Amino acid sequence: MNTVAKRQVMSLTVNGDTYEVLVSPRQTLLDVIRGPIGLRGTKEGCATGTCGVCTINNEQGEALLSCLTPALEWDGKSVTTVEGLEADGELAPIQQAFVEFGAVQCGFCTPGVIMSAQGLLNSFHKPSEDDINDGMAGVLCRCTGHIKVKDAIRDVVKKRA
Amino acid sequence: MHLPAHEFVKPATLAEGLSLLQSAAGEIKPVAGGTDVIYNMRGRLFQPDVLLSVRELPELQGVRSAAGGRMRLGAGSRLTDLERSPELAAYPMLVRALRSVASRHVRNMATLGGNLCLDTRCWYTNQTAEWRQAKGPCLKNGVNVCHAIQSSEVCVALNASDIAPALIAHGARVTLACADGERELLLADFYTDDGVAHTLRRADELMVAVTLPPPPADAVFVKETARKGNDFSYGVIAAAGEVAGELVTGLTLVMGSLTTRPVSLVEPVRLIATQGLTDTAIAAAAAATREELGALTNLYTPAAYKSTLARALVTEALQRLRGAAA
Ligand SMILES: Cc1cc2nc3c(=O)[nH]c(=O)nc-3n(C[C@H](O)[C@H](O)[C@H](O)COP(=O)(O)OP(=O)(O)OC[C@H]3O[C@@H](n4cnc5c(N)ncnc54)[C@H](O)[C@@H]3O)c2cc1C
Ligand code: SF4
Ligand code: FES
Ligand code: FES
Repeated sequence: MNTVAKRQVMSLTVNGDTYEVLVSPRQTLLDVIRGPIGLRGTKEGCATGTCGVCTINNEQGEALLSCLTPALEWDGKSVTTVEGLEADGELAPIQQAFVEFGAVQCGFCTPGVIMSAQGLLNSFHKPSEDDINDGMAGVLCRCTGHIKVKDAIRDVVKKRA
Repeated sequence: MHLPAHEFVKPATLAEGLSLLQSAAGEIKPVAGGTDVIYNMRGRLFQPDVLLSVRELPELQGVRSAAGGRMRLGAGSRLTDLERSPELAAYPMLVRALRSVASRHVRNMATLGGNLCLDTRCWYTNQTAEWRQAKGPCLKNGVNVCHAIQSSEVCVALNASDIAPALIAHGARVTLACADGERELLLADFYTDDGVAHTLRRADELMVAVTLPPPPADAVFVKETARKGNDFSYGVIAAAGEVAGELVTGLTLVMGSLTTRPVSLVEPVRLIATQGLTDTAIAAAAAATREELGALTNLYTPAAYKSTLARALVTEALQRLRGAAA
């Protein structure tokens, strides 16, 4: 069989805005978000599910690896990327905590680390130490050593009622 | 790098999916969470003509109790949902195995069916296409040579599923469906010793469910890996049975990630069943393990390490099982 990767129009809601995009089956969600949709916050690291820097949040607010998700699988669905966390110029609590605790160095992993942390905070109101380790083990930062990242997460949890 | 060219189809029902599978021209590959399929397509190990999305098929979802105290798990269930499912709280060893897979990120996407049908892995082929150009194709791509064991006539890539050994130790059965109907078989019989055609699933079939017997009284799961998070196993063992003091009834011992199929140990189980969980019997069971595993060569660690690890895993599992009853 001679396969042609037929393009299809799909609809994807990113951070509340709905886009109609012409997508090839060869593209992943990551390709579509960074390409035609033009949101470059989400990064590509390994492209094989190992580093977590491509993490976005699915409809339930859980961590999703955009590099391993075929774009067409997500037709009609919505996702949140790092650009969608702030509201009216106000940083989300986890973003603010990253600033305060210095949980950012070179910044390349930061969108993926933040969206992993946000996924954790969406799934658990008061995550335990085990929950934090479990939620963050799938994303790698080469600079911060993860200590300040965990301090920032614990701070957000502490401030929750 | 973009994925290789293919057509992406997403049927709305199982019947529609099965008829697509039956009538497919060219190679059609089911995709669920995609954490293995998309990964291998990036490495150009798989270049199917069609990807058939099954992750949202309604017939493959959910956990429900079935007749005789059994539990039916839909093959499309996500690992995260299974871990947190109240119905599975009675199977803590299985929950441990589910939680040991990869990372939260991967488990939010990965499904039970995808884990059980996971392609076998090899140090040579599970690399980039450029890497594979060095030695060229092997049995996995239609050439009659294996680069992992030169003398081998079959592919000796490893079964890396952490969940399969746990389910086999529980005596789980799988349901496969094709356009003409369903069949059920023991998960233990689902796997083969050929890393290329590594399961009995026919190309026109989908896995629809896994059925678990009532939970065992005692069970343990041990996974050895380089780091705690996001790593494939060097080796795993799952054990189940009913322990009373040093006596065990209905013991099962299943090892994974060391061989092409998960191995249900025979002689070690016989030794413990007849002699009980004494230190002497545990040592004898560990010593009898190596022989049942066959060639130990592929992936991550050398054969000598794998032999030592296999003995250590059997010892650890049996000691913990004894502790579980104390
Ligand atoms: C970074 C990383 C770490 C990993 N670590 C582990 C680990 O520690 N332990 C482990 O066990 N696995 C691990 N994996 C492998 C894999 O992600 C998991 O096994 C996962 O459960 C596969 O499920 P999936 O739904 O994503 O499968 P997919 O990739 O969608 O499919 C896997 C295979 O199953 C077939 N398939 C899927 N659903 C069906 C169905 N219903 N019927 C018939 N065939 C079907 C597909 O055709 C394909 O051959 C890891 C993967 C990554 C990327
Ligand atoms: S074990 Fe041999 S045949 Fe199988 S994938 Fe590896 S090199 Fe190829
Ligand atoms: S880029 Fe997706 S996990 Fe590394
Ligand atoms: S801040 Fe540099 S990789 Fe994380």
